[in-house]
Amino acid sequence: MKRWLLALCFLALPAQAAPVTVTLWHSYRGAEEQALDQSLATFHESQSAIRIDALAIPNDVLASKLTTALPRGHGPDIFVFAHERIGGWAKAGMLRPLDAHLVPGQLNGYLTETVEPLRYEGQLWGLPLSFKSLALFYNKALVPVPPKTSDEMVAVARALSGNGRFGLAWETGNFYCHAPWFFGFGGKLFHEDGRLAFDSPGAIDSFAFVGGLRREGVLPEEVSGALVLSLFNQGNAGMVISGPWFTGDIAKEIDFGVAPLPIVSSTGKPATPFLTDEGVMVSALAKDPAAAFAAASFLAGDESARIRGTVGRQAVAAKSAWDDPALSGDPALAAFREQLATTTPMDNRPQMRNVWEPAQLALRKVLRGDATAEGAAIAGLRRFNAITRPTPPRSSPAAYLALGAAAALGALALFVRSLSRTAKAGRVREAAAGWAWVAPAAVATGVLILVPFAVGLTLSLFDHREGTWTFVGLANFRDILASRSFGPMEPLSFYYAFFVTVLWTAANLSLHVAFGLTLALLLNRPTLRLKGIYRVLLIIPWAVPNYITALLWKGLFHKQFGAINGILESLGIEGVAWFSSFWTAFFANVCTNAWLGFPFMMVVCLGALQSIPRDLYEAADVDGAGHWQKFRHVTLPLLMPALIPAVLLGTVWTFNQFNIVYLVSGGEPDNSTDILISEAYRWAFARQDQYGYAAAYAALIFVLLLGWSAISSRIARSAEALRS
Amino acid sequence: MASVELLDVHKQFGETPVVRGVSLAIEPGEFLVLVGRSGCGKSTCLRMVAGLEEASSGEIRIGGRRVNELPPKERDVGMVFQSYALYPHMTVRENIAFGLKLRKLPAADIATRVDEVAKMLELDGLLARFPRELSGGQRQRVAMGRAIARRPRVFLFDEPLSNLDAALRVQMRSELAGLHRRLGATMVYVTHDQVEAMTLATRIAVLEAGVLQQVDRPLELFHKPANRFVAGFIGSPAMNLIDGTVSVEGGAASFRSSTGSLRCALRSAPAGVAAGEKVTLGVRPNDVSAAKDVPGLVEAVEPMGWEAYAHIRHDAGKLVVRLEGAAAGVRVGEAIHFGIDPARVHLFAADGRAVLHPA
Repeated sequence: MKRWLLALCFLALPAQAAPVTVTLWHSYRGAEEQALDQSLATFHESQSAIRIDALAIPNDVLASKLTTALPRGHGPDIFVFAHERIGGWAKAGMLRPLDAHLVPGQLNGYLTETVEPLRYEGQLWGLPLSFKSLALFYNKALVPVPPKTSDEMVAVARALSGNGRFGLAWETGNFYCHAPWFFGFGGKLFHEDGRLAFDSPGAIDSFAFVGGLRREGVLPEEVSGALVLSLFNQGNAGMVISGPWFTGDIAKEIDFGVAPLPIVSSTGKPATPFLTDEGVMVSALAKDPAAAFAAASFLAGDESARIRGTVGRQAVAAKSAWDDPALSGDPALAAFREQLATTTPMDNRPQMRNVWEPAQLALRKVLRGDATAEGAAIAGLRRFNAITRPTPPRSSPAAYLALGAAAALGALALFVRSLSRTAKAGRVREAAAGWAWVAPAAVATGVLILVPFAVGLTLSLFDHREGTWTFVGLANFRDILASRSFGPMEPLSFYYAFFVTVLWTAANLSLHVAFGLTLALLLNRPTLRLKGIYRVLLIIPWAVPNYITALLWKGLFHKQFGAINGILESLGIEGVAWFSSFWTAFFANVCTNAWLGFPFMMVVCLGALQSIPRDLYEAADVDGAGHWQKFRHVTLPLLMPALIPAVLLGTVWTFNQFNIVYLVSGGEPDNSTDILISEAYRWAFARQDQYGYAAAYAALIFVLLLGWSAISSRIARSAEALRS
Repeated sequence: MASVELLDVHKQFGETPVVRGVSLAIEPGEFLVLVGRSGCGKSTCLRMVAGLEEASSGEIRIGGRRVNELPPKERDVGMVFQSYALYPHMTVRENIAFGLKLRKLPAADIATRVDEVAKMLELDGLLARFPRELSGGQRQRVAMGRAIARRPRVFLFDEPLSNLDAALRVQMRSELAGLHRRLGATMVYVTHDQVEAMTLATRIAVLEAGVLQQVDRPLELFHKPANRFVAGFIGSPAMNLIDGTVSVEGGAASFRSSTGSLRCALRSAPAGVAAGEKVTLGVRPNDVSAAKDVPGLVEAVEPMGWEAYAHIRHDAGKLVVRLEGAAAGVRVGEAIHFGIDPARVHLFAADGRAVLHPA
């Protein structure tokens, strides 16, 4: 019996002549999107009362778009998302509970494990579509039989490791991939009272386990998803832990198998990965709840499930779809189905989102060998406390509104006064013409610069949690400047980040000017041939988009596979773990940015050099000056008027050079190489959308740079005076 | 104070020869002016002496010593540039002191010398100013001061007065002459202005197309130019040149212009010129007078106040005549008769060399 048809019957009478449109948001791509479109086509063919309007949104922005749009009623009627955000959204009142709409027995059609994760505080908030978890992929040529216990697995892996081959590979620094071991060793995430439970023995044992494997060389270093894939495809990884998305990327030559994860020998518990349950949720503000539910029911129903399974290769939640041999016969899908029994649903409480950063910190610390497993766990705990800062107390906007009103009145008064002056001088028409000419640029500046600036400043007076804005006045600024929750000289403290940023700016600019000036001096020689070619070559670093440069250099600095360590090792020097300590990671960042930035200084210096009259050098020659003296007394002083503004500009750009710091070192180790701007970014986009706090950070950066501009324009003016 | 010698110096830039076999010997304490048209190679010669250009071949000696391989700072020369080349970011005092500082003189000595030079050039009140705050004449004096302060063996001037206005130029000329008298130094001066050359030089070297035409004292050059080019270059307004032939009848030589309309007796037969050979007659404007000989038409008149130069068109070409007194009142379009003083003519052979001068 098609359940969704039943649901359709609950549509209110009178039947509408025009079809009801239900908007659907999702982030499917490729085969999954094809499957969705096919399902929707089937739906539209079989009935005409409801039309589902699907919109694809990139995965990394879907959550924040939903968070901002749903409360305002701009969001979709139904949407597809993983279950883990349900807690926060339900708490914020963005979702509609579905228990009342359910047809009796509707839930029996789903695999049991897929229903519970969609519950929060006793109510059901979504219908299950598909599930994802991790499983063990193995290269049959290297590992003929998949291991059943962790001891077996480690033994097989040890035998395979060496000479550039690794027995095991997974994204070791990512807590999602570490979770199977975390839970397998008996660790748990939260205590009863909601505190993070990293210090439990099971957690620490899991950290020690991977740390040991890394030290032995069974696991590779600094693993990214791309590295895992390339190792497996080259036949250099015996076993890989990954999810269903991996199957599509495996090279055809590799004869691979998929098996459930082994049992942890020391505890007897299975390695239990996180279960990501993808469901379709209904918005609390859906215009036609019954129609929305009917549409959702169809999507989660048997027919759609079969299409999604066969065309989209999803591990679907509907039981009946597994009768189709296309699903049950697929070894990868079958393995994930088997793994389902030993998964743990990702905790959907709001606190869960705060776990990732501290967990990553702890993992990376133990993998680097920076700390023991206990030490790493404790560091993780401290980070958790730091980022789950308590909401500041609500404050009254009255004073600020009054101030704002006064400022606005003052501005208005000044404007009126200048208007009356213009009128008195009889220059109204001239002034009006002037304003008409300026208007387009003024509007553009206003909209693109002033308005966002004002909005940003306003945001800094609020605190944002899970869609709720609370006015807190200057509390954010107070928290930042008082360095609450972290010592002033620790990463995450404003002062620490400021110190790193100043160091970063100074180091970069010195190198930019040194290289740029030297190369300009070399290029300026009249006897140099092929000048044109050199100039083009030397501009290339500047011309290449800087995120490509950043990713390239990050690869160069990789500990195991990077070219730089390769060169060092060929010279007999041991490879450096670049991103494992502050100074080496900082050095890597500076190298990249220096490479990026010297062409600008070079071009400025070249231009300025060519404007120095040649007979000044001749006069200096006759006066008896040598090379260095000519440089010091003629070249340098006459370069200053051009160089100083360039340096001042460069200072501001480098101070805010987000791309390089974020992409090359990523703040490693432990956010110590983060500069102010990347720190602000993390508060906004990686620590549960604390937009207000991040806006306060941005406001402080602005004030710092404003002060710097004031000082520097004074310097520039006195340098300008030198030019006759 | 040192001598400067150029021995068969050649210079070419790429394939283009700019200085062709110039040999010049400058005595210590002499004020030698290198004069010629634009592009004749005079600045290049100067720069080769300074060491700012390398000679393609030939030898350059200062004080008797070969200096071809020495960089400028080891040649102990002082140079004043056409554009002054003052260091814009240094005060006048610092500009003058720069060379001394480089030679690591003690500060007290530097201060004394700077003050001395400033007094000599009347720059006392300007020592704390920057070049951009000075007038052209003041800047030129600072440039000279910078050269003088170092007390070099040779001073080199590269068209230093070209950027100044006429009145200032006259004033600076006399100051330069005074400076030379006071310092008694060897000075090599390049200019395209032959009036400057005539007034400042102890000797003038005339260059044309990279070849030295004549080196002599100013009046010698004026009265006895070695070739047609020098004759036409020195003296303002320029010497009148008329083409024609020489004929000798009896013992008397005479000149006849190619058109036949102009005849002039010559005081003696020119040496090395056969009768009938092509020659050029040269006569200065003041040696042409309003006489009854040759008819002409006044085309232009340049009144100079006390005299006038009339440009006359006649059968054999054009001529400039210097008129004074009542005759200066002649007007354009008037017919006029003029005559040439045979005792005052020069004669140049077909190859340009002079074969006859006035007595």
